[in-house]
Amino acid sequence: MTAKIKRKKSLWKRLHENKKFVAAEAVFLPILLGVIIFLLWQFEGLHKILRTDTFVLPLPGRIGTIIVDNWSKIVVDIKATMIVAVLGLIIGCLAGYLIAVLASMFKTLMKSGISIVAAFNAIPIIALAPVISNWTKDVSTDANVRSMVAKTIVVAIVSMANMSINAYRGLTELKPFSEDLMRISAAGKLKVLYKLRIPNSVPYIFIALKVAVPSCVISALVSEYFAEYIVGVGRKIRENIVLAQYSTAWAYIAVACVLGIVMYALLMLVQKVCLGRRGSRTS
Amino acid sequence: MKKLLKRTIATAGVAALVATSMVGCGKAATSQGGSAAEGSTSTTMTSEEIIKQAAADGKVGNWGLGNEYEILALLTKYGLPTEYLSEDFTMDGFDDDSITLASAMTYNELGLVKNSYEGGYKYGDTVGVIDMNDEGVAMLEDMVFCTKDFAKKNPETVKAFLYASLKGWADACADPEKAAEICYEAGSSVSGDHQAYMAKEVKKLVETDMNGNKVSELGNMDEAAMTQTLELAKKYVKLDDSDAAAKLAGMTLDDIRDGSFLEAVKASDGKFNVEKKKVSIQLKWLPQAQFMGYYVAKANGYYDEVGLDVEIVSGGGDISETTAVNNGTVDFGVTWVTNLAVANAGGMDLLEVAQIYQRSGLLLVYKYDNFSK
Repeated sequence: MTAKIKRKKSLWKRLHENKKFVAAEAVFLPILLGVIIFLLWQFEGLHKILRTDTFVLPLPGRIGTIIVDNWSKIVVDIKATMIVAVLGLIIGCLAGYLIAVLASMFKTLMKSGISIVAAFNAIPIIALAPVISNWTKDVSTDANVRSMVAKTIVVAIVSMANMSINAYRGLTELKPFSEDLMRISAAGKLKVLYKLRIPNSVPYIFIALKVAVPSCVISALVSEYFAEYIVGVGRKIRENIVLAQYSTAWAYIAVACVLGIVMYALLMLVQKVCLGRRGSRTS
Repeated sequence: MKKLLKRTIATAGVAALVATSMVGCGKAATSQGGSAAEGSTSTTMTSEEIIKQAAADGKVGNWGLGNEYEILALLTKYGLPTEYLSEDFTMDGFDDDSITLASAMTYNELGLVKNSYEGGYKYGDTVGVIDMNDEGVAMLEDMVFCTKDFAKKNPETVKAFLYASLKGWADACADPEKAAEICYEAGSSVSGDHQAYMAKEVKKLVETDMNGNKVSELGNMDEAAMTQTLELAKKYVKLDDSDAAAKLAGMTLDDIRDGSFLEAVKASDGKFNVEKKKVSIQLKWLPQAQFMGYYVAKANGYYDEVGLDVEIVSGGGDISETTAVNNGTVDFGVTWVTNLAVANAGGMDLLEVAQIYQRSGLLLVYKYDNFSK
């Protein structure tokens, strides 16, 4: 009996005392889950669980084949979508940050600005996109260009709201008395901005980006629904669903997912480089 | 400056056109006054010239999403690249000239462009049209379908539904004004005036074939028109899915339609032993006179007479009627022949049982003053 009590420390527990195993497990388990889902999907177990058929949820092999077959066409759509997403993200984030800076410096004057920007954030993209499309009719005689501008503005508005709200927090929620200390040292508004507010806001920028980056891809996809010029991953998803081409629609959905994931991975990389040790401290 | 000049010429052109009252004949000749052209005469262009110029400007419009194939066929017919701008569900793009040759349905957008009732753009007779039927690129539109499985299991229900629906369509065509009122009361998305206009135009599509002849039997699936539709679909529908593309290329009319139900309906005495009493029909769009036959059949109690309790489900936006019927949400649907063929190529098993519209209702509409030499 005593032997049994001694064996209480199971293999499972002993393995978890090993740091290397725990690290490997953190990578291995999600991958295992992914593989299980993939296998269930490919061999139609998933369809039984979700009570659907291979028509509505096509097999991954089929989706892969369609992506490979049409790669040259898909690249054109990816380019169109990504240009809009990235350009909109950059413009929107810069504008959002600028608004936040102004708001932090001239609080009484600009604080309502943040509320207005936040209100923009609440407008659904499907309401925003057609309006912006109508707005930008005179931008260019080339439908491709003016559609691109319209889509970029939509993405920019969505990104801007996100950035300005978060950056404003970063610019104003300073360490206790740090601002007073600067003031006592006779630092002007600009100096406080450069030396205190902006450095303090950097982690918050990444918090904003963590939401803005995935949402810029989504906004780009949805804004394509309403664009005059027909191009883009989002437009293809819609077209194929309306035409009941579910395998093809899923192929484009898969592409859209990968775009979102790649963008997010890139952001994580940039964050690691930019924040270094500081990032690990704040998180 | 150029725009101003263009506008001056345009306004002068309109005035001249109205004055000569020769608009609508397509070849109205008119002399042009004003500062720009030094006394030269201007003639409206032929359809071919108009299509070519609009295509060169990149200002041909269509909604896409399966509505574009006739336009692609038309562009190909004149050796033009198959590119078009995406129209939204308004005619604002046509109004502001960002689309100069815009797609319009005879019964819907054309009425809005011409007429001055609520939602209209008041262009009256200053616009001309290019008809897909005249151009030989017409494809068949609104028809009734269900799944092959449903038709096999419920043949009497299908027959009863067709019998009552066609009776409704006959009534609607006999008195389109009354039909428009019924549609308006059924929950209208558009004004009563537009509903009345629509009913009159839909009557033409139901009673006239692609060659302009009167149709002998409502709901008839004309072999030649069906073949033309399927052939154009095969040529212009581009599917990324190689399996679906191969299936479409090898598709025959027998894969998408069955005329036996209609034959049985013609010979029927109006008594059916329905297998399923409660059935529903998914419309392709919002409740409007486009679907007046079903609304009239319901209002006049024709569905009750054959022992059916019919629910009319309205569509709109991105509703996919083929999917709704295929997954059993509804029993019947109204869609275009091409949509059904493409859905079947994608893996559905749908069957057309009656062809309500006998000719294409798609037009390209243009302003005369945008296309005068």
